[in-house]
This record gives sequence, C-alpha cells and structure tokens, in this order.
Amino acid sequence: MLYIEQLKVAVGDTLILDGVNLEIQEGEVHVLLGPNGAGKTTLLMAIMGMPGYRIVGGRIFFQGKDITNLDVEERARMGIGMAFQKVPTISGITLRTLGRLVLEKRGLTDALEETASRVNCLYLLDREVGKGFSGGEMKRAELFQLLLQRPLFSMVDEPESGVDLDSIALVGQALRELFERDQVRTKKRSGLIITHTGYILEYLNADRGHVLMNGRIVCSGNPRDLFADIRERGYQECARCER
Amino acid sequence: MKVQEEYLRDLRERAEKALTKKAPLGPDIDLSQFYLCSPRERVEDVREIEDQLKEAALYAGVELEGEKAATYLQVDRSAVYERVQRAFQGKLEIMSSQEALQKYPELFEYWWGLVPVDADKYTAFAELCPTEGYFIRVFAHTKVEIPLQACLLMSERARVQSVHNIVILEEGAEANLITGCASVRGNESGVHIGVSEFYLGDNARLTFTMVHNWGEAFHVRPRTAARLGKNAFFSSTYVLLKPLASIQAFPQVFLEGEGAQATFQNIVFAKGNSYIDLGSTLLLKNRGCRGSSISRVCATDEAQVFARGRLIAYHDEVQAHLECKGMLFSPRAQIVSVPELEVHGAPRARLSHEAAVGPFEEEAVNYLRARGLKREEALSLLVQGFLNLDLPGLPEALQRYIEEIIRVTSRDVL
Repeated sequence: MLYIEQLKVAVGDTLILDGVNLEIQEGEVHVLLGPNGAGKTTLLMAIMGMPGYRIVGGRIFFQGKDITNLDVEERARMGIGMAFQKVPTISGITLRTLGRLVLEKRGLTDALEETASRVNCLYLLDREVGKGFSGGEMKRAELFQLLLQRPLFSMVDEPESGVDLDSIALVGQALRELFERDQVRTKKRSGLIITHTGYILEYLNADRGHVLMNGRIVCSGNPRDLFADIRERGYQECARCER
Repeated sequence: MKVQEEYLRDLRERAEKALTKKAPLGPDIDLSQFYLCSPRERVEDVREIEDQLKEAALYAGVELEGEKAATYLQVDRSAVYERVQRAFQGKLEIMSSQEALQKYPELFEYWWGLVPVDADKYTAFAELCPTEGYFIRVFAHTKVEIPLQACLLMSERARVQSVHNIVILEEGAEANLITGCASVRGNESGVHIGVSEFYLGDNARLTFTMVHNWGEAFHVRPRTAARLGKNAFFSSTYVLLKPLASIQAFPQVFLEGEGAQATFQNIVFAKGNSYIDLGSTLLLKNRGCRGSSISRVCATDEAQVFARGRLIAYHDEVQAHLECKGMLFSPRAQIVSVPELEVHGAPRARLSHEAAVGPFEEEAVNYLRARGLKREEALSLLVQGFLNLDLPGLPEALQRYIEEIIRVTSRDVL
C-alpha cells in the first residue's frame, strides 16, 4: 500500500530524513520508534504532504502511484489520513462543523454523534477545534476525525502521550476500529503509529516495528521484541547495532 | 404647528449651508455626479414583487416572503410594500418616514433629533433631497419576538438614494429588526445615504441587524445615532461581506438612562479595492451603563479597512470594552485599528480595549487540507470561523441567521 524509497526530507535548510526506505502492505499496521529528534514526526508529515516538509530526494508511492509531488489534500482524497500531535486552534469552528465537512467528503451525513460517542467526544462536539483541549481530548478528537474520514492509510503521532490510563483503552479501541483489527477477513486498512511508550501495543497488535535514528530506519522487526530490546539497552544499542 | 414649521425651516437652512461640507473621515464623494432615484409603483401583495428584487433582498438577508412581524420594502425612491402581520396590528407600525411625518406631525421632534442635519454634506443631502426611509414604532410593553424587516434596494445606475429612518421603541417594548440594503444588479454605481435614528425608551430592547450587499462601484454613507433610556438594551450587528467602492460610518449611541447597555458588532470581509471605515461611539452617561464594541475584519486583495471604536465615560460607574481582531489574506490589504478611550470627570470608569491584526494561520489551513478540504475550502472555513461571533443578548434564531449569512457568503469570498 505504501512504499518509500530513499526519502530525504528537509525542514528549512536542515536535512531531517536522509534516505528512509519503508514498505507497508495492505492490512498491515507498523509502529515507528526512535529517540526524540530522530525525524519520526517529519516522516509522517512528509508522507501526508504537509507544506514545510520539503522532499529533496527519493520517492513515495501509495497504492502503486507516485505521490511524491502531490498536494496534501490530493493525498487525503486518495485515502491518506493523519492524527496530529500538535493541533492548531480553529477559531469559531466547532468539532461538529469540521466533522460534518469531513463526512460530507465521503458523501455521508449521519454517524457523527454515534462516532463521537464511541471515542467519548460527544461533549467536545460544540467546542472550537483544538481550543482548550486537554492532551487526552486532543487525541480523542483527532481519532474521531480519522474515524469519520476512514482513510485507507492512517498515521497516528503518539496516540498515548498526554492520555491518562483510563483513556488509553479508549484510544486503543479507536485504533482497532480505525485499522479494522477485529475484522479478520476484510482487514485492508493500514497505518503507521509513532509510539514512545509502547502502551498502545497492549491494545493493537502491530505487524512490524521500525527504529528511526539520525534520519534513517536503522532496524526493523517484531515490534514487541524491538521494544523489549530498547527498554533493556536503550537506543544507543540500536546505533551500535547499525554499525 | 408654528414651532414645527420653524424647526423644519431651520433644519433646511442648516442643511443648505452644509451641502458642501466634507465628512471628516472617508473619501469625499462628488454627489453632483449622481442623479436622484426614480419613483416606483406600490404593490399590495408580496407576490407582485419582481423576482429580481426578491433575490436581491435575499442576498441582503431579507426574505420578503418569510414570516415576519412586519415588512418594509423600498426600491429606489419609493416605499413599494409595507405590511404588518395581523397578530401585531395595533402593537407596532411600519411605514415610510415621510408618510409617518404627515400622519403624526408631532414626530418632528424625532426628525434629526440625534444626528445633526449639518454634520456633513451627506446628512444635508438627505434633508434636502429625501427619498423616503422607514418609520417603525413598537408600542409600549409590546414584545415582538418574530423579527421585523426592512429592505432598501437600488435598481438604477448612477443614482443617489438618501433615506431617513426613524425607529422608536416605547417604554418596555422589545423587537428584533433586520435591515438589508442592496443594489439589485450588483454592478451599478451609486450612493446610498442612510440616516437612522433609534429611540429606545426605558426598559426597551432592540437587536438591530444590518446586512449590506452593494456593488463594487457603490459608495455608502450611513449616519446613525441611538438614544437609550433607563435599562434599555441596544445591540447592533453590521455585516458586510461583499466588495464596494467605499463605506464610512461612525454611529453614536447615547446611553442616557441608568443601566443602559449597548453592544456593537461589525463583521466585515473586505475584498477588491473596497475602502471601509467603520466604527462606533458609545457615550456612557449614567450609573451602571455598559457597552462593548467588537470588530472582526478579514481583508484581502487591495482592500483598506479602518476599524474604529470610541468609548466616552461621563460617569464613574460605567464599564465598556473595545475589541478589534483583523485577519489579512493579502500583502496589499490593510487593516488599521483605531481605538479611543475618553474619560470625562469620571476617574473610576472602567474602559478597556484590545486589538490584534495579523495574517491567517497557514498551519490551520494545512491541517484542514489534511482532512481532505481544498485550500479554498479551508480558507473559507477559517474566515467563517473568524467572523462568527457569539453575540450577547441576540436571540438564538438571529444568531443562526447571521451564521448562515456568513456561511453562505464566505463560500466564495476568496
């Protein structure tokens, strides 16, 4: 579904990603690990096509089509979606209004409140997007929008950060729904999740994990094994292992 | 009668002397370039109104066939349709101001009672070459929840329409008035001078909503003032989302009675070469008076906007706030916020202001694009959100009505 070849991305004049290779098949969910500043968010932003993340080398393919030079909204319309870690405030626009617009893009009008209730966002619907949301509310509001958007390929930036333990189960359930993890036969949706703590793996059986360091993927494998190694030996070991 | 004749003669003399007096603000308009509007025939049934006029009214937020407590429609220089819903007959009246002056000679006391006839050439012109305007009176202790509506249209090129409106809410009366002003074809050049005087008795409440939809070659000079009695409440919301040549208005509200409250909201999307100079002055004269003046301005292309606000306190126990927020969509557009706070012998009065003018947030646009919105859709949504105000004291139906106007018109603002 997603194939990335020798991707180099700069933000301003600084090269952040320096030759990333990654392949995610239909129905697969991968997790992305790595120390702070490794370029994890940059990779997600570059796949989404966010302006400011300049692709200076390599290519991105989505469902066999080269999307390297496509605009962010074209990628969204093709079925790429993202739950952001930092959400801007959209003054005067409620989560309900934005949710309706997102649904309209799919030609739907209902399911808004029912979806909101599943991620405990009903009480947020009439609040301005991003305004005064707590960490947990922000995550749930982002997942709510992704559930409305139903992308074929979803990226989630640190779903567990700022979320209390009670809400993690809710976030985990929303991710399962997003990736259709409970539907064995129709499992076609894929994704990439950044996680620091690995808590989310308790709720979502990811297919593969990758460690991103110094702008490159230095290690890939079973996500639980990777986490266990990193917990034990830290990312320094990944750097040594790379050598 | 003699007093009235002398008063009217004096007005005329003062107006004649002021005919060449330039307004202190806004570009000067040579009125000699324009002709007076033509008369139009009156109709008795709303179904007889031409579709083109109904459509123009709709774009200025007035639904002529909708269920309203009362309706006044003026086209060019004539009042063509007036109607008071049966349920409100005897509780309020609506007619052209000239007709009202003839019917009730004692009304002359309200005629230029608040706006000086010699304020500038535009007020002078409105006195010397009047082309109707509406008179609305809501009788004492009558509460009219369903909005009243007035619509002033211009259908001819190179004309000047100079209306004089008088609105009286007697003691304890309550009403919601929607006024829409528009040019019918949209591309006419012309001048609209609108003198409006509002008189609110003790405990009266008026929410006044005005939507303008003129053409790009149109000049507009509203001259507005209001006087508020004890515990009276006046809320004025002005919506301008389409380009015009120029508008300059600086309405004044005299908060005379104890506990009187006034709020002004200007919602503006300035486009093209529009020159927009809008503000409001609140004169807080008595104990417990409160006021606010809020502007939300978006400006693009080469539009120039002056957002003014003036608060004047004459009593210690008053409080008022000015707020101006501006969003720029073009490097050539300009928004100038001009706040003025004055205290006259009332050192404990509390007046404040805040202003913020800056570009739109690209980050927010990109966030919305990641949800699948096109760039234009994302910008329109930002504009819509920015201009949406939670208006205190405005009935929910009117709030929804303003949101809908903003939603519909902001679709194609960029």
